[in-house]
Order: sequence, then C-alpha cells, then structure tokens
Amino acid sequence: MMILIVDDEPQIRKLLTAGLKGYGYDVLAAADGHEALTLVAQRRPELVVLDIHLSQGPDGLEVCRRLREWSRVPIIMLSVRGDERTKVQALDAGADDYLTKPFGMEELRARIQAVVRRAVAEPGAPPDSVIRAGALAIDLVNRRVTVAGEEVHFTPQEYDILRLLATHPGKIMTHPAILSAVWGPEYADMTHYVRIYVNQIRKKLRENPAANVRYILNEPGVGYRFIDLP
Amino acid sequence: MPPAAGGAIVMAWWRAQTASTGPQSMTATLRPAASPDRRAALLRAAGEYLAAAALVVATTLALWPLRDRLTIANESLLYMLVTLIVAVRFRTGPSVLAALLSFFAFNYFLVRPYYTLAVEDTRELLDLLVFLTAAVIAGRLTDYARHQAEAAGLNARQQDILYRLTSALNPLTDVDAIRAELRRVAVEELGAVEVEFLPMPPTAPTEHHPAADVVFVLLQAGEAIYGTLRASFLRAPSTSAHRLLIACAGQAALALQRVDLTAQAQRSRALGEADRLKTALLRAVSHDLRTPITIIKTSAANLGDVDLAARLSAEEKGDMVQAIEASADALDRLVGNLLDMSRLQAGAVVLNEDWNSVEEIAGDVAAGVYRREGTERIRLDFPDDLPLVRCDFGLLRQALGNLVDNALRHEPEGQRVVIRGRAEAGLVRLEVVNHGPTIPAEERERIMEPFYQSRDGRSVMGGVGLGLAIAHGIAAVHGGALAVADTPGGGATFIIRLPQTEGAP
Repeated sequence: MMILIVDDEPQIRKLLTAGLKGYGYDVLAAADGHEALTLVAQRRPELVVLDIHLSQGPDGLEVCRRLREWSRVPIIMLSVRGDERTKVQALDAGADDYLTKPFGMEELRARIQAVVRRAVAEPGAPPDSVIRAGALAIDLVNRRVTVAGEEVHFTPQEYDILRLLATHPGKIMTHPAILSAVWGPEYADMTHYVRIYVNQIRKKLRENPAANVRYILNEPGVGYRFIDLP
Repeated sequence: MPPAAGGAIVMAWWRAQTASTGPQSMTATLRPAASPDRRAALLRAAGEYLAAAALVVATTLALWPLRDRLTIANESLLYMLVTLIVAVRFRTGPSVLAALLSFFAFNYFLVRPYYTLAVEDTRELLDLLVFLTAAVIAGRLTDYARHQAEAAGLNARQQDILYRLTSALNPLTDVDAIRAELRRVAVEELGAVEVEFLPMPPTAPTEHHPAADVVFVLLQAGEAIYGTLRASFLRAPSTSAHRLLIACAGQAALALQRVDLTAQAQRSRALGEADRLKTALLRAVSHDLRTPITIIKTSAANLGDVDLAARLSAEEKGDMVQAIEASADALDRLVGNLLDMSRLQAGAVVLNEDWNSVEEIAGDVAAGVYRREGTERIRLDFPDDLPLVRCDFGLLRQALGNLVDNALRHEPEGQRVVIRGRAEAGLVRLEVVNHGPTIPAEERERIMEPFYQSRDGRSVMGGVGLGLAIAHGIAAVHGGALAVADTPGGGATFIIRLPQTEGAP
C-alpha cells in the first residue's frame, strides 16, 4: 500500500517515511502542496498524510479541497494543539481524520488502518449485526444494548445517536452531523442537545473515564468519536 | 458740597447698585447679568427711594401736631434718626434722599416761619450739612459692610466650587472623566455655553480680555502642560468668574498630572514585573528545558553508539527510548504552557465557546491520567443533573488538567484525587481535591503567579510554575475564578467557578 506524506519540514518527512516504511508501507514524500497534487495524480497513492500548515504554495486545507474535486483518496490531516477551528475546516474540506502533533508512530498507524478499513468497507456494506466493544454489545437487528450482559434501556433518540456513532467506529462525527442525522438538518446548530444526550448515554453505558473505560471519545470543539474496534 | 464728595457719593451708589442685586446665588453673580435680573434691581432701587421718602413724610406728619411743643433740637434729632435708619437699611442713595427731604420738610413745615424755606439763622445751614454728612457716612458704612459680606459670600461660593471640584477630581483616574468634570463646572457653575479641550497650548493669549466671550485657559501643572481649555460664554465672564475658571483648570491639570504620573509608575512597575518574569523564566528554562534535552541527547547518543548499543540489554534500550519519549512529552507540555501563558497574558486568547458538560471534560482529564499512570488515581464525583456550561472545551480541559497534575503530585500513595462538580446559584463549581499537605495561608495568593516557586525551592507544579497561573488565567477569560481552600482533614482543594450564562439549555 502506498502512502503520500506531505510536510514542509524535511526532518518530519524523513522520520515519517522511515517509520511507515518500517510498518511495511510504500512511502512517497512531498514538501509542498503543488508537489502533493502532482504526485497524487501521477502515482495514485492509497492514502495521504497531509500537514494542515504548509509554508509555501497552497496550504493543507486548500490541497485537501482540491484533491476532493477529483479524488476520494483517504486523507489524514496533521494539526497542532488548540487548533479546533482548523480541524473542523479540515473535516469540512473532506479530510477523513486528523492527528494532533506531536504523536507517536503507533498512533499514526492505528489511524491509517482505521481510515483504510472504513474506506474499504464503505459504501453501504452493512456492519456485523452485533457491535462489540469491551463490555458493550449493540444488537443492531433487535435494537438491544447490553453492558456486561445486562440489558440497558435507551430512548429512541439515545439509541439513534449511539448507533450512529457505533456504526462508524474510530470516525469523527461532528456535532452538526449527529444532529442532522438524528433530529434533522434544521437542528444542526443545537449542539447542546447532543451534549445532554451523550451524557445520558455515557451513564447508561457505565463509562468510567478514571479507569479509561470509555466508548465515546471527545473531540474538543469538533464532535465525538466511537472507540476504534480492533 | 465739594464736587469730589458728590462724585464719591455717586460712585458709591453706582457700586452699590452694580455690586449686588440682592441675595441671589453665585450663579447669577458670576454669570453675565441677565435682563430680568436688571429689571428687578431697578424696581428694588426705586422701592428703596420711595420707602425713604415715605419715612420722611411719615415723620413730618407725626411731628406736625406737636411742632409748637417740641424744640428744634428734638425734631432735628428725630429726622436724624430716620435718616440713619434709612442709611442702615437701604444704603447711601436713599439715605441722601432722606437727608435732603428731611432738611426741607423740617425747614418748611416745622421751623418758623412755617411754609417757607427761608432760613432765619445761617446756623441751620450747619444742620443741613450735618444731616447730609451723617447720611452719607452711615450709608457708606452700610454699603461697605454689605459689600464685604457679599464678597465673603462670593468667595465662599468660589471656594465651595473649587472644593467640590477638587473632591470630585480626587478619585478620578481617567483623563476623559477629569475633563468631563471640568467641563461640568465650567458649564453649570460658570455659565460657559461651549467647552472644548485643545491638545496644544493655544496661539491666542490666555490672559483675560474683558470683551472676549471666548476664554482660553492653559491646563498647566508645574512644568507640564496638559492641553488648553477653550470656553465660550454668551457674555464675557466677570473677572472673578475668569479667575475661578483658571483655578478650576489648575486643579484639573493637577489631577491630569496625577493620572499621568500614576501611569508612568505603572509602566515602570510593569517593566519591573516583566524583568522579574524574565529572570524567573531564564532560571526555569535553564533547569526545566535542559533536563529533558540532556536526557534526549544522552539517550540518543547511547543508542547511536554502535559499540555501546551492542552491550546494552533490550530492557536498557527500552528504558532509554522511554526516557526520550517522556522527555519529549515534558518539553511539549512546557512549550504548550509557555505559549498558553503568553497568550493569556497578552489577552490574545480566542475562546471557542460552546455548551459543554464539565463532566465530559473531567472524564477526558481522568482518562488521560489513567493512560499515563496505568492505575486509577482519580475519582469523579458529578451529580446527574449538573447543567451545561458555556466554555472552551480545550482550554478548560487544560486548566483542569493542570490542577489535577498538581494535585496528583502531592497526593499520598493509595489515595485518589477527587474531581467534583457542583451547581451553585448562577454558577458551576469544579473542585480538584487532594489529600496531601495543606498550603500555608501566606502562599495561597502567590501560588497562582507565574513562575512561583514555593519556599522549599521547588515550584508548586514541579515544573516552571506555570500550571496554576494558566488555570487561573483560563478561569478568568471565562469570567470565572480560581480559588484554593483547605481539604477537610488535610490537603488543598482548588476550585474553578464558572458563571452560568443566561439562556442555559
């Protein structure tokens, strides 16, 4: 599998290239947006790791938008801490995921695998009829949720949110996306609805963050992400 | 009567008329006399003359039946009394009238031969002179006393205006407020119709031109000039009003100077503070940056040394790699904190606000601790019905994370730091409770300062001492506050209070 790395820092390019090669990927590297667009067109990589901030030429967001005009190649954007607005923009521009610097190679590999898996599975492929994560099991056919074998009752809306998140494991679901899917597009701004419902869902799922028992992860200022299933 | 004396009388009368138009306020006196005031004054003067004449007529009528039984001395003394009463009551003008009338009435009706002004005896001319002189002296004395009283009253009013202006200026720390106060006095007390502040000394002279209806006054305190006051009047202000305006401008200039000096002092204090921060930063940087850098450098060099690496066990190599990663994380946190601190101090933080559950934020922090430490060291305590708070998720997580890191550092082995959320009237309270040593009262305020190092030389955060300052700054940009209290039974409880915004869902 071929991966294109786009970053203006030579050291980062070198490290990521070495690391990904170590995991067995073929790696291309580009130092700016123009080079990246050309390489995607010529070499057809199967995934792009794209830095949001490029010092020369079009920046990462622009490259992402242009790629989406003609390509469905999965894109993982690299951003820095505290850059929530840009992250939302990246998702809006068509990025599949983002990763905040600094990160470990393990983390990057997990994201790459998750994004690729989703890209292969979609579109429309029905997931397993039962989603399992830790003590949680969601029976999609019978709309039954159990935690450690005990059945938990959910209201229709709570179940819809949980199902939406759980059927997209590892994928960031923005607040507006959740609201549109569950309540309808006219509710896309009512982010506090999602907060209140997710809070309820967490309690029913008996999450215990202090012991890192969590099914729904926060993406500050962006949305939620169901934990990635192995 | 010598012409000079007559002139003096006329002058005195004129002055009496112009100096006062009665017991009106300072406002009327200092403002150019308005025409209704003048009419009233004329009416009053006419009344005084009529009253003087009436008194003389009444005296004459009273004495008439008795004129054969009284001596001339009796009668002239009575007239003298009347003249003096008029003088004391109404001043020089009416009293001169009373004196003249008295002399003629006395002579015409009461002194033989009756109904003539023929003076039998030239000594009676002396009577007339005595009458007039007494009337003028008494009138002048009255005039003088009144004038003094009025001047004192005027002075007192001026003093009062100045005093009230000074008291009003004292608490002001803002240039615009000081100017507004001076403008108020010029308009309300001195009758200016338009007041303007010019930044530079004017080209027009500032001394008083009686004809000018525009007055320029320099706002000067010592050597320093704080602009010019330009006041327009409908009519040229009186000399006393002009003097008062200058005095008021002087007071305002002093207030402006005080503000200026305070600002200068603050600037130099800020510079001193910046200097202190720089020193603290350099000291902190020399330790907290160098340590992880040294670890990274040494570990990388060891691993890169082929001969040495061959002799290292896999476990030792693993330790070195882990040390590099931990050091890099420490550096990342430090740089992040320094950036946050500078953004908070520069007021450059843009809040990405939304309705958030503080329980979710606390959950993120707790999960992070578990991932880092591998054991459960936090206990979350949140009621089911805690309302959402409008805040920046990322920043608040940072603040809470800093408080938790600090609490964990002092938490005794085997105990858990508690993150607690509670709703209070109008706000939500987030508490981070640890059970370690209690913070001495004298250190409580200071630990929130950037780079604060406790007396044992270690910073409270174990790092550069930025964590609490950042948490404090983040609480503040949310309109909230960070406080510290004792944990019952020992330890410190840090409390973030966040306001519950209107329209909470």
